[in-house]
Amino acid sequence: MVRPENLNDALKTLSRGGMTICAGGTDVMVYPPENARLLMVDRLPELKLIEDLGDAVRIGAAVTFTEGIESPIVPELMKAALRRIAAPAIRNMGTFGGNIGNGSAKADSVLIDFVLDAKLELASIRGTRTPDIDKFYLGRKKLDLAPDELIAAIFLPKPKGSWYYEKVGGREALAISRLSFAGVIDVRDGVITSLSAAFGAVADTVLRFKELEAMLTGKSLDEARAMKPDFIAAYDRAIVPIRGRVSETWRKEVCLNLLRDFLSQNGI
Amino acid sequence: MIEFVLNGEKVSWEGPDTERLLDVLREDFRLTGVKCGCKEGECGACSVIFDGELANSCLIPMAKADGAEIMTIEGLRELDCFRVLDRAFAEPAAVQCGFCTPGMVLAAYSLLKKNPHPDENEIRDGLSGNLCRCTGYRAIVEAVKLAAKEGGKW
Repeated sequence: MVRPENLNDALKTLSRGGMTICAGGTDVMVYPPENARLLMVDRLPELKLIEDLGDAVRIGAAVTFTEGIESPIVPELMKAALRRIAAPAIRNMGTFGGNIGNGSAKADSVLIDFVLDAKLELASIRGTRTPDIDKFYLGRKKLDLAPDELIAAIFLPKPKGSWYYEKVGGREALAISRLSFAGVIDVRDGVITSLSAAFGAVADTVLRFKELEAMLTGKSLDEARAMKPDFIAAYDRAIVPIRGRVSETWRKEVCLNLLRDFLSQNGI
Repeated sequence: MIEFVLNGEKVSWEGPDTERLLDVLREDFRLTGVKCGCKEGECGACSVIFDGELANSCLIPMAKADGAEIMTIEGLRELDCFRVLDRAFAEPAAVQCGFCTPGMVLAAYSLLKKNPHPDENEIRDGLSGNLCRCTGYRAIVEAVKLAAKEGGKW
């Protein structure tokens, strides 16, 4: 076990290889790797900060979900998703960085990272880079993360306009998402200036279709209402759910229903 | 060597990084109030207070316990506020087989420490990670209401 005092020491240790990164432990310990040596990043001061950057919030990777919920500067949309994660004991330990590093398309906070176009801060002894979240996810459990890189922080833009969030699970608490949806829409003087929609737990990664979102940007609410059937049909063609515990048909249907509901709640 | 504070006492332990805190508490420290239900954070029977927060000890690797302060139900029993919880759980018969009870009591304590006057929804959220297969939860929710009403130094 190595418990470095600061980020630099952590990155040096990581670069030498042979360590498993651990913060909250809630994912690592479900199937604990035998004989693993843990690099504990849970108390690294650089990874525990939440900072207000004006248009965005920088959330340290080792910030727990509970700390996110209790923070006055984390956007309410993110908090809505955090409150639906598991139960208090898991939220007290689980972290923003871990939720991303686990690589699952069902990760509840990652859906919000996608819908808000978050960037990640990846640190290594070679330097820092800040990829867009959708470029970082390459496929199921496949991440653009080198063995010597550590997820250090998330740059989360604050949502503009109104937001919508829905998680469908088997029950209220302790449920892995069967499907989750988040949408953000900004309407100025009756014109849609931006719109984003993200679908979780449907495919290998969280899904977004920016080319479809562009169909409605710049349109008036009247025009958007007229285009709604075509817009939904375009998503119907674009979404290809993977097989899972629930059927592809069900997933597709719920995706489209939530998208419709998101639009109609915003006058479309 | 991993060192931590357990129920107010400094202790040390040696072993693999990914050994579960749950197993160490039960097997090495003989604190059998910590129960093993699922080993995947789904049931809350292994709840402990970890650095002041409710946590599932089955998901805490011993490497994480290093430098931490941990309290089990055996530690809570020594606090004055335990008597309030003890009476409150007995009154509406919130205990049947008892397997979930240590975790439930710790979850209730953790909730009341943060929020001494929770409403029913907040109580149900506070206990949402703790499964009980006997009571149907109503009596447990009632117990937490009673404890909140009586109040204590949480």
